[in-house]
Amino acid sequence: MTLNSSSCNLFITLAGSPNSGKTTLFNYLSGKNYKTVNYPGSTVDSALANLQRKFNLNALLLDSPGIISLNPESTDEEIAINSLYKHAKLGKPDLVIVTVDASQLSRHLYLVKQIVNANFNVVIALTMVDILNQKGLDIDENKLSKIIHCKVFKVDSRSGKGVQKLLNYVNNIKNKLKNNHLQSSKSSGTNTTEEVLRIYNEIEVIEEQTIFELNENKNIDLTEANKQLNLITNKSLKSKCNQIDARTAKIDKILLHKTWGLLFFFLIMAFTFTSIFWFAQPIMDFISFIFQVLSTEMLILVGNNWLGMFLANGIINGVGSVAVFIPQILILFLILGFLEDSGYLARGAMLIDRPLSKIGLNGKSFVPMLSGFACAIPAMMAARTIPNRRERMLTIFILPLLSCSARLPVYTLLLAFLFPGNKAWIAGLVLASIYLLSTISSVLVAAIINKLNNKIIKDEDNSSFILELPAYRRPKLKVVAINMWHSGKLYIQKAGPVILVLSIFIWFFTTFPNIDPQVNEKNITQEQVNRLKNSERLATSYAADLGKIIQPVMTPLGLDWRVGVSLIAAFAAREVFVSSMTLIFKVTDSHSSLMDSMIGAMRNAKIGNTEQKLFTPASIIGIIIFFMFALQCLATVAVSRKETGSWRIPILQLLIFSSLAYVLSFIAVNGLRILGMS
Amino acid sequence: MKTAAELKCGEKVTINDINIQHPSAKRLLEVGFTPGQEIELVNKSVFNDPIAISLRGTVIALRKSDADCIIIS
Repeated sequence: MTLNSSSCNLFITLAGSPNSGKTTLFNYLSGKNYKTVNYPGSTVDSALANLQRKFNLNALLLDSPGIISLNPESTDEEIAINSLYKHAKLGKPDLVIVTVDASQLSRHLYLVKQIVNANFNVVIALTMVDILNQKGLDIDENKLSKIIHCKVFKVDSRSGKGVQKLLNYVNNIKNKLKNNHLQSSKSSGTNTTEEVLRIYNEIEVIEEQTIFELNENKNIDLTEANKQLNLITNKSLKSKCNQIDARTAKIDKILLHKTWGLLFFFLIMAFTFTSIFWFAQPIMDFISFIFQVLSTEMLILVGNNWLGMFLANGIINGVGSVAVFIPQILILFLILGFLEDSGYLARGAMLIDRPLSKIGLNGKSFVPMLSGFACAIPAMMAARTIPNRRERMLTIFILPLLSCSARLPVYTLLLAFLFPGNKAWIAGLVLASIYLLSTISSVLVAAIINKLNNKIIKDEDNSSFILELPAYRRPKLKVVAINMWHSGKLYIQKAGPVILVLSIFIWFFTTFPNIDPQVNEKNITQEQVNRLKNSERLATSYAADLGKIIQPVMTPLGLDWRVGVSLIAAFAAREVFVSSMTLIFKVTDSHSSLMDSMIGAMRNAKIGNTEQKLFTPASIIGIIIFFMFALQCLATVAVSRKETGSWRIPILQLLIFSSLAYVLSFIAVNGLRILGMS
Repeated sequence: MKTAAELKCGEKVTINDINIQHPSAKRLLEVGFTPGQEIELVNKSVFNDPIAISLRGTVIALRKSDADCIIIS
């Protein structure tokens, strides 16, 4: 293990049809050595990892999106095929391991044939042999090896059975692989109908020769022995091969049923979004409590000076106010992972294709939209699976409207303000309706833009929807949990530093230059002195100076500059709004949790020097509406630019959604006031 | 000329031809809809479209407009 330079490493690419168990094998081989992680939904980008050490093979492993053939139809397939031929950094792979689902042999051998014809060094990993066995069939892998001229191994990527045997073989021939690079040309993808048919004819012969019935004596080869018998066996063999999974067919009778299917679809969606709120609550309370204790202890330990305030307010409270929401985000990822692993996502896409196609989207927009509830960034990448460019652009366009997990902290805080204590269950319902409303508004925007399509989104070609509905599987808790863990970690790594840096900035701008203001200390307690000092320090801070500039924009929404500063900070990442509010409203109350003292501080906040309350139900609803529509995320703008290939769509998104947010929030606040709500 | 778009639930037929003029024909062929294959309509979505067809041991969901290029008689 001394040599790590890439010239000594074997470079292996994993390729395979969708649902062939490719990513499962990748996870087994790479273990925890992830370099990139895909969010639940679909593999749309390539992931690179080192092979686990226990396999005794020094190799880099590339996982790429599933492909049906070497002729790409959509952007994710294009990425996979391009990285197969020539990876940007690593060049051509020394070896391609193609995963083939044994129960889908004929369909998956099509890709194998193409890759072999394109002159790659190929080894086949034959997966899901157990499913083939359940049909009463088995496959002769040695015979298959001989016919298609590349080594075949039966593997079980979930338990790892057979994987070591495959790797031992690779280890033995690795020098040969490194030196034996055949020239492969891109034109070797099959291009004419005749060629497709020819390959399939060949495959059907291979299938007949290698698949046999389990109860028969393996030593007697019926195909060779008796042509008369051959015809009969082949017929029953063929129909057995083509049988679909009986359990899947039964479940689909319900889940794709005209009424029940739709009902279950809505139930599953409703469960997903309400559980985010309800399951996470106890864990969130606990984390909130821990951070409050830490912050109080820190002030006592270091003292009420600038360092103590920096550590307690700037760092611990700033980070803590966002850490509180990690449980919700993990639960969302967990449920998405379960839906993906069970095979339901494809059904959801099928059920919703018809309605979505009416507004210019596609059933394949379903997975990106669902991941949009976690984060718009992986969602925009997931839109690569939509073959039609116009539908893909429209999907990307509306994704920022879906309620991403970064908005959760904001909504949770604001809803806890509106529905305190024993009314918390209402907050769960209202949150669910915020999700529903954000979905409805995204659909409406899609419909409107689809009507005006020629002006905003261009390009039109054939729209189609062709998607495999994979057999249902019991989701593996371990697989889903690891996926959730990695997605969560990625989220924290991405948002964490931004939040920390901004917390420090906001702390600085709200504390300096007047760090120790003079206040009249006569006849009042120490606690009151601290409170007076806090508000005086803030009122004379840099942030207050900046705030006076944006005050005119905030007044129509019934808010003041303090919320304005938080809204500006939220452009770096939406969840920063919460930590910035925590800092601006100087939450330091040692008797309750972070969340409770935050809400207490908000209740006491007044506009300027008046007795008028800053946060009223009307102004809170206004902020919620602002967050529902505004595109306050620079990272999303950047990814939108990258995925759409120009600045046109991201700039339109920024302008349209942010002005929509302001106008709707204005209407809501003032409308509610006219109706008598304060 | 009957196409797969006109199949009824549970109807089992053999593919006769694929209309290669159709823009989806190429992809359908590659997925495995080749002449001579037996297919069965196993499910229809809520609005009768897309439809789910069993083929070569799996189920493929496709729109009726895509299924139109699968000629069955």
